[in-house]
Amino acid sequence: MLAEALLVARKDLRVERRAKIALGQVAPLALLILMVFAFALDANSSLLERGAGGLYWLAVLYGGTLLIQRSFDVETDDGNMDALRMSGIGSTSLFLGKASALFVQITVLELILGPGIVLLYNVRVVDWVLLFAAATAGTVAFSVCGVLWGVMSAGLRVRATLLPLLLVPVLAPVLLAGSRAFETALGVRTGAGWTWAGLMFVIAAVHTAVGLGAFGFLLEEG
Amino acid sequence: MSEVATVVAGWGITFVLLATYSMWVVLRGKNIGQELGIGEIQDSDPGKDAGATTDS
Amino acid sequence: MTAAANSGAKMTATPITRVLGVSALAATALMAVLGLVVSPPDVIQGEAVRMLYIHVPSIWIAYGGFALTSISSILFLRRSRRRPDQGRHYDRLAGSAAEVGVVFTAITLITGMLWGKVTWGTYWQWDARLTTTVLLFVTYLGYLALRRLPAEPTVRSRRAAVMALISFINVPIVHYSVDWWRTLHQKASLSVGRRPEITGEMYWTLLYSMLAVTILATWLIIHRYRVIRLEELRDEEGLEALIASRLNKAVGSH
Repeated sequence: MLAEALLVARKDLRVERRAKIALGQVAPLALLILMVFAFALDANSSLLERGAGGLYWLAVLYGGTLLIQRSFDVETDDGNMDALRMSGIGSTSLFLGKASALFVQITVLELILGPGIVLLYNVRVVDWVLLFAAATAGTVAFSVCGVLWGVMSAGLRVRATLLPLLLVPVLAPVLLAGSRAFETALGVRTGAGWTWAGLMFVIAAVHTAVGLGAFGFLLEEG
Repeated sequence: MSEVATVVAGWGITFVLLATYSMWVVLRGKNIGQELGIGEIQDSDPGKDAGATTDS
Repeated sequence: MTAAANSGAKMTATPITRVLGVSALAATALMAVLGLVVSPPDVIQGEAVRMLYIHVPSIWIAYGGFALTSISSILFLRRSRRRPDQGRHYDRLAGSAAEVGVVFTAITLITGMLWGKVTWGTYWQWDARLTTTVLLFVTYLGYLALRRLPAEPTVRSRRAAVMALISFINVPIVHYSVDWWRTLHQKASLSVGRRPEITGEMYWTLLYSMLAVTILATWLIIHRYRVIRLEELRDEEGLEALIASRLNKAVGSH
């Protein structure tokens, strides 16, 4: 099962490496978003510093949505989804595989955005462990929900608008918790950071469990 | 806004919204029913599946 | 009996729902009289307390409707797993309950904001209940959007059912995270002194309003259910006409 999942993940990442959409288009766009936030907040350094955590997660949400969309466009464009289903790969492996591939891609995005906020918003990391813990949990939640909603809006012509509409409400707690945890990790707010990171892990676990249970229903054709 | 104005606005909006939605549901049923030429729905059993004239 | 005569007037009505509909109309009329005229103003809140009689029943119907959607979705998934063509009625019930729930969530939010303006002095408070409710509203708007899309009916219903489940599981997560957010970092800015002492006439008026709104919502859900059934019938007819052209193209255009 895990071997199959790995296979699916590798396939997705190979497609991505060839197309270079994530690095070539989504990452620069996310960096642009960081700049636009500065315009919106009048490049007020204290405001930017205090808001850096939240702005980081907003940029991840934006870039992540595009990556999720991309991950399922690849599948549905040439009827690949059917091919995968026919290939006998179980829904669990498919779910884990696609989620892992998304996890890697969103991580790459975050590795660009992280230094981005440090450099552009003049923040200083005071708790690296908390920062990485929160980022990991958040990324898991993003990838898992991304696969679920991605497959749900896959094949629909309006998926470009439907996906964010479905995704944002369910990720709202992750954004909230992620922003608070980052504020503590970046030293602009004291305390409670680990409580929020813990909550993020719980959310990630819940959605992973739900995803594993529900993914089979989403793949079955009528 | 004064208290009375708030109450009038709240109740007013509520009733207008509910009336509009109810009308929409009833008229939509009527229109689609006519489109399909179904007239015998109301004679069927008043249970949940009253709309099912040609259950498939 | 009255089929031919009345068929044009109320296509989705049956004698029972017609009685229910008239009851709903009478009940809400009486509710307005009780809530706006008969019941006394509150000692603290004055006339504003009358918002209670629509706000509280609305949230009850909203949450009740969404709970019904979740239960029907579970039943649908269980049924359709065994036989894909089965359990359609649960899917229809889920859809109609969600739509009525969304309408009542909108009413809850509007009346809540108006009420908040007079009692708190502000339309919006970032507390757990308000934030959860508005996220719930958007979530189920998304659910309805998903249901409306052109797709193969079984696939669409299954996707919608899974979404209803995830959304329901998400409600406590949202609620507690917002609750934490507001309590960990600052004291609740306004003491919940908005809750008036509900006794006597006010209590009975509220109880009656809940009943009246429940009758109305039941009527709406039953009607909406039948309209969804009609929509399906229409789509099936349209589909048959399209089948010929679908055979030519691999993927039929909508």
